[in-house]
Amino acid sequence: MAEIVESGGGKGKGDGKVRAKKLSTRVDMTPMVDLGFLLITFFMLATTLSKPTSMTLNVPDKQEDKKEQETEPLKASKVLTVFLGRNDDVYLLDGIAADDDKAKDQLKKVRFGSELRSEVFKAQTRVNSQFEKDEEGNLPFVVVIKPTEVSTYKNVVDILDEMAITKTKRYAMVDFLTDTEKALLGDKVTPRPEDEN
Amino acid sequence: MAKVRPKKHPPTIDMTAMTDVAFLLLTFFIMTATFKSQEAAEIDTPSSISSIKVPDSDIMMISIGNKGEVFFGVDAQPDRVAMLENIATSKGLTFTDAQKKKFSNQASFGFPLAQLKGWLDLAGPEMGTVKQPGIPTDSTGVSELADWVYAARQANPKLRIAIKGDNSAKFPTFKNVLANLQSQNINRFNLITDAEEPPAGWKVD
Repeated sequence: MAEIVESGGGKGKGDGKVRAKKLSTRVDMTPMVDLGFLLITFFMLATTLSKPTSMTLNVPDKQEDKKEQETEPLKASKVLTVFLGRNDDVYLLDGIAADDDKAKDQLKKVRFGSELRSEVFKAQTRVNSQFEKDEEGNLPFVVVIKPTEVSTYKNVVDILDEMAITKTKRYAMVDFLTDTEKALLGDKVTPRPEDEN
Repeated sequence: MAKVRPKKHPPTIDMTAMTDVAFLLLTFFIMTATFKSQEAAEIDTPSSISSIKVPDSDIMMISIGNKGEVFFGVDAQPDRVAMLENIATSKGLTFTDAQKKKFSNQASFGFPLAQLKGWLDLAGPEMGTVKQPGIPTDSTGVSELADWVYAARQANPKLRIAIKGDNSAKFPTFKNVLANLQSQNINRFNLITDAEEPPAGWKVD
């Protein structure tokens, strides 16, 4: 430890002179360092260093007095429909409407991550090579996202993020299922008693 | 002849350098510190590759807990008081100064209006331990979130809306929150997420 004062400055030499005690010019820094590190520890623990980021989400205007813009109905062959099911399962309908006879066989179950991303890319490449851009220069590929009541908020954010990653510019989030879609998905999207926890 | 003895020193360590470093670090942490605020509930947000930072000020935060409770909070303390006064006049309630003071210290809250007074009458430390049921948002039944948003925007029209949802919050809750906001003609929000590395080779365009 750092010393404070040396004692016995002038004694023991036997010459009898009374000398002024020599005071050490050193300052004991130990308590200061202790305090410094204590404060560092406190600030390190109390600080949030990683700032959260944010995604911007724009939703269409729901006010009823606005006039509906006349648009052409979407062709099913240009659309990838994504259903968000329970336990992070995703069901895909690629280029086919739910009321089609073949929809039952075409319904594909994938997981989030690379599996979903490659499916989105596949559909994107197929649609964009098959169809022309529209008059405004938009790519023809459209994704319709249908979150169901058994899906979670994380699923919604993940799929929106997936749209950003695959650079799909046109996507729509639709929060209701049509009757044919309900029949198609069946119990995959209806709440079960064990969901209540 | 007297012997030349080496002068006895107690062992010393020069602490100056260490002190310098310690205080340098201390200064850094003090200056960069933004404190974790006391949240009504622990919320574990999903991650996204988005790199937009959340703005520091003029934020109203709607949090969705993992059981579907909805919490609401405004960042600036004067706005919190003004918001409480606005909602009190529109709903015909009165709050005492002490209640307003306590309310302004809460970063977020999740109580139906009817229970809010009871919560504000509790002693300070107890307020944090009470289980908060969340603000009613049911789009078909009672919904108070839209009223709070309206009151907050009256208090400070510049407020932007951030939604912070928990990973395991169910979609219907989020849908109800959106419905509440859309009823106020608010169509643009920020979803707060954790940062995540984009896949290799991915670029913003």
